[in-house]
Amino acid sequence: MKVSGESPVEANKSKSKTPRKPKDAQLLKQKSPAEFFADNKNIAGFDNPGKCLYTTVRELVENALDSAEAITELPVIEITIEEIGRNKFNSMIGLANHERVDEALYDDFETDKAREKRLAKEARFQETQAKNAALGKKVKAPTAFKPTKSREASYYRVTCKDNGRGMPHDDIPNMFGRVLSGTKYGLKQTRGKFGLGAKMALIWSKMSTGLPIEIFSAMKGHTFSSFCRLDIDIHRNIPHIHVHEKRENHERWHGAEIQIVIEGNWTTYRSKILHYMRQMAVITPYAQFLFKFLSEYPDKNMSVRFARRTDIMPPAPLETKYHPSAVDLLLIKRLIAETSKQNLLQFLQHEFVNVGKSHAERLIGEMGPDFTPKMAVKSLTSQQIVRIHQLFRQAKFDDPSGDCLSPAGEYNLRLGIIKELHPDMVATYSGSAQVFEGHPFIVEAGLSLGGKDVKQGLNVFRFANRIPLLFEQGADVVTRTAVKRINWSNYKINQAQDKIGVFVSIVSTKIPFKGTGKEYIGDDISEIASAVKTAIQQCCIQLKSKIVKRIQAREQQERKRSLNKYIPNATSAIYEILKEMSRSHASKRRRYEGKDAELLKQVSTHVVTEGTLREKLAQHVGQVDYEMALEYATQAGVNEEPREDITIPPLEAEYEYTELFSPIFVFRLVA
Amino acid sequence: MADKKKRRRAVATSDSDSDSESDPLHFKSKLKPDSSILQTLTALKSASASTSRPATLSSLNLPTAFREVSDLPLSSVQSTIESLALSLAHSILSGHGFSFSVPSRASANQLYVPELDRIVLKDKSSSRPFASVSSVRKTTITTRILQLIHQLSLKNIHVTKRDLFYTDVKLFQDQSQSDSILDDVSCILGCTRSSLNVVASEKGVVVGRLIFSDNGDMIDCTKMGMGGKAIPPNIDRVGDMQSDALFILLVEKDAAYMRLAEDRFYNRFPCIIVTAKGQPDVATRLFLRKMKNELKLPVLALVDSDPYGLKILSVYGCGSKNMSYDSANLTTPDIKWLGVRPSDLDKYKIPEQCRLPMTETDIKTGKDLLEEDFVKKNPGWVEELNLMVKSKQKAEIQALSSFGFQYLTEVYLPLKLQQKDWL
Repeated sequence: MKVSGESPVEANKSKSKTPRKPKDAQLLKQKSPAEFFADNKNIAGFDNPGKCLYTTVRELVENALDSAEAITELPVIEITIEEIGRNKFNSMIGLANHERVDEALYDDFETDKAREKRLAKEARFQETQAKNAALGKKVKAPTAFKPTKSREASYYRVTCKDNGRGMPHDDIPNMFGRVLSGTKYGLKQTRGKFGLGAKMALIWSKMSTGLPIEIFSAMKGHTFSSFCRLDIDIHRNIPHIHVHEKRENHERWHGAEIQIVIEGNWTTYRSKILHYMRQMAVITPYAQFLFKFLSEYPDKNMSVRFARRTDIMPPAPLETKYHPSAVDLLLIKRLIAETSKQNLLQFLQHEFVNVGKSHAERLIGEMGPDFTPKMAVKSLTSQQIVRIHQLFRQAKFDDPSGDCLSPAGEYNLRLGIIKELHPDMVATYSGSAQVFEGHPFIVEAGLSLGGKDVKQGLNVFRFANRIPLLFEQGADVVTRTAVKRINWSNYKINQAQDKIGVFVSIVSTKIPFKGTGKEYIGDDISEIASAVKTAIQQCCIQLKSKIVKRIQAREQQERKRSLNKYIPNATSAIYEILKEMSRSHASKRRRYEGKDAELLKQVSTHVVTEGTLREKLAQHVGQVDYEMALEYATQAGVNEEPREDITIPPLEAEYEYTELFSPIFVFRLVA
Repeated sequence: MADKKKRRRAVATSDSDSDSESDPLHFKSKLKPDSSILQTLTALKSASASTSRPATLSSLNLPTAFREVSDLPLSSVQSTIESLALSLAHSILSGHGFSFSVPSRASANQLYVPELDRIVLKDKSSSRPFASVSSVRKTTITTRILQLIHQLSLKNIHVTKRDLFYTDVKLFQDQSQSDSILDDVSCILGCTRSSLNVVASEKGVVVGRLIFSDNGDMIDCTKMGMGGKAIPPNIDRVGDMQSDALFILLVEKDAAYMRLAEDRFYNRFPCIIVTAKGQPDVATRLFLRKMKNELKLPVLALVDSDPYGLKILSVYGCGSKNMSYDSANLTTPDIKWLGVRPSDLDKYKIPEQCRLPMTETDIKTGKDLLEEDFVKKNPGWVEELNLMVKSKQKAEIQALSSFGFQYLTEVYLPLKLQQKDWL
């Protein structure tokens, strides 16, 4: 057990919060959830400063998307990372700058011995350089001697602004200052799940900078906006509010803007963050992202804009009920505690999917003589609940439908791929809903060939519940499937040389992540593995015919050249034989008759030479090429490359409408 | 079923014998004097000498047509090439380009004929036109090879496949390409590869009670030192075979061959020992066939107890798929599987550490072999192979060395011969 130097006051506080069991005064300690996550921040993806910066950006962006989608508003999200130098940071927290007095105290201090060593090395290097230059060898550009790695931390202000729902004024402190409190609990396909993201960022900021988080928020229809500055009391897991006030909201803005200052590492995680933004843009082409990085040095500033390409949003995922095969004992107890239904029959019928009335009656009959349909559900004993659980495990239920899921949709996936990668070819496929352990899932796949900024070989893009997964790629089910189980050459795709983009998006009410961070989906779930394989293969099949056509077209162009290349070899070989024959024919060692004799005579009198053969063969090749080109043209002329459908979004489309959702379509009433 | 019973009995007897002594070398005490073993071998030889001449493909009157090649004299190879070249030239001059009709050597075009006990080639052939992107390369290489063979026939010399490849590296690119086209050319011309005067480099060796003439020089294989005599790549140089051996011992591996040669096994039991050091080349197969036909000796094979051992055995016996067009000249029927057989592992108490577990591919090869006709025709082989696949264990000939390096020559082989333990 970790014994930290906590003050007795804090220990008392935590004591007061939860009733203690008979205690062993010295050893038994309690931890608040916030403390637990502060100690084990790697669980939530906060491993090191660089990853912390990445995860903070990620959590804020995902919350912003969820918030905008919740009110079916096309998301507009602005992310700004601002580098804060040490001096500026010190002045922010009100710390005076200190000059170093005792240099030798610091880690990057160079001792006399080390300096001697370095100078000697530099001198030696220069000597060899001079020698090489004298010998006329190519001189290597003098590599700059890296200064010893400084452990100096760097700080960043991360700001995320969205046009989403905003937050109710009074809930703001709890939404940020209490770990494991959230709006996304319940059985539904969501990006976040545990109510951890923004709070973890706050815990990290408290650990690394001590600065509070600032939140602006306004909801649609409200006349005021909220401003809140708070941090978190880690030991008690409650928010610690600095400012919490209502402000005027003249321009009727709605959404949220969150500002947080954390320690991070931009240099090492720059590419990860940009990859994340790009992949997010692929899977959500209906959102607009503006990403900015502001540095102390203006030349390092950057700003990337991911434009919106469609105004069609996938319908919001619906909250669903549990499937009987997906519940455990605790969950049944919780459902019983929460249900508004009176008797067992109604409980089974209404709190679970795929249990109809007659089915519920049969189930109750099967449970045994202690159970009746009319018995009060709250009166069930623990033993009876165990019996229900057992039956749920053994009985057969229909698979849950995928209606509650909201996949990105082939249309959006395709648009996203085209928009961000500009590939030569793209194919998409959307599988039907399947089931793993009582949770429905849908696998969608996209496959692209060529494009800008795409490496040769396989480029795997993974999405789970419409968020990109960037880490732990090697063990993921998608990577494994693409690398090992797909025979690319079957589809005329060269795995090593073509620029292949594989996009797989899996949505589910429960994504079976592996490991502590939500970074990858294991390869051991055969249902998902086979669904992924089928989806990718379907894309391959779509592309194959296009690729074959392209190869044929290329063959058309190159046929004549590749045939002509071999003419000299073939004709010279035949001519050599003829020449030997004509020699023996002339010396009368062998006799030939009829046209053979005539041919040999022509060879010996140089009427027929290698040139003649070459010419005739070239004529023939030309003839065949012409015929085949004609044939190709008559065949291919009819079915040209299928044209891509495009949609042009209206420029000024500001309708007032109400939306009615169904799993299949969205009904918009335009006023 | 009957076979199974027999085997069980054999195991049972060896078990009851072994009760008396736990030392594996007790097998030695079971050996009878050499003279009695020699008697059984003499009987074997006389039995194999009396076997009738094998049937030929034409005598069988099978419903489908087959393609077989024969040894052609050099002059007829030359004239076949010349008439082919003339027809090509006529075709080009008349403006029709040219094309070859090449017999297909794909496995779909091959058939195992049980009456002959070998693989033969059916007569399906495909056209290889010059004016087609897919076949232009092969067609060009074919004309080039034809021209090179024509030169060889004019000058009456032999070259190796490697020589042939180096005459036009730029066109052939890779020796496997010129080699496979060479086989195509044999098929087109209807002659054996050796009649094209192209040979592979020496691979096989022979030692033992054999005297033959190589290009006119008399060779006594008992006086060739330990390494033995390399088998000449072109069989037409070989003639005048004489021998007082009782059998031919075919060995898969060089190591086992060395042991037999150094121990002068052929002096204790008069025999001829041959190895091709792994998969046999054409020359070794031709040589073995020639010995068997001229000397009328039984052939016993000593191969590893793994699927590849049996595969090598099958190549000697029924021919390889690649050269099935010439199987009539290359195969040696009626080879007996002496050892090391899967059942020997337990029978001779090969210790566990000398056995190896079979890999996935090994087991797959084994199962594939069980489907092959040439294995199915011999129930004893099927049973042995089933045992191997079931036990998932393999062993090399060298596993016997765990009882001493000379166990192979002093105990294992004599005992096997004494018990007539071959299939």
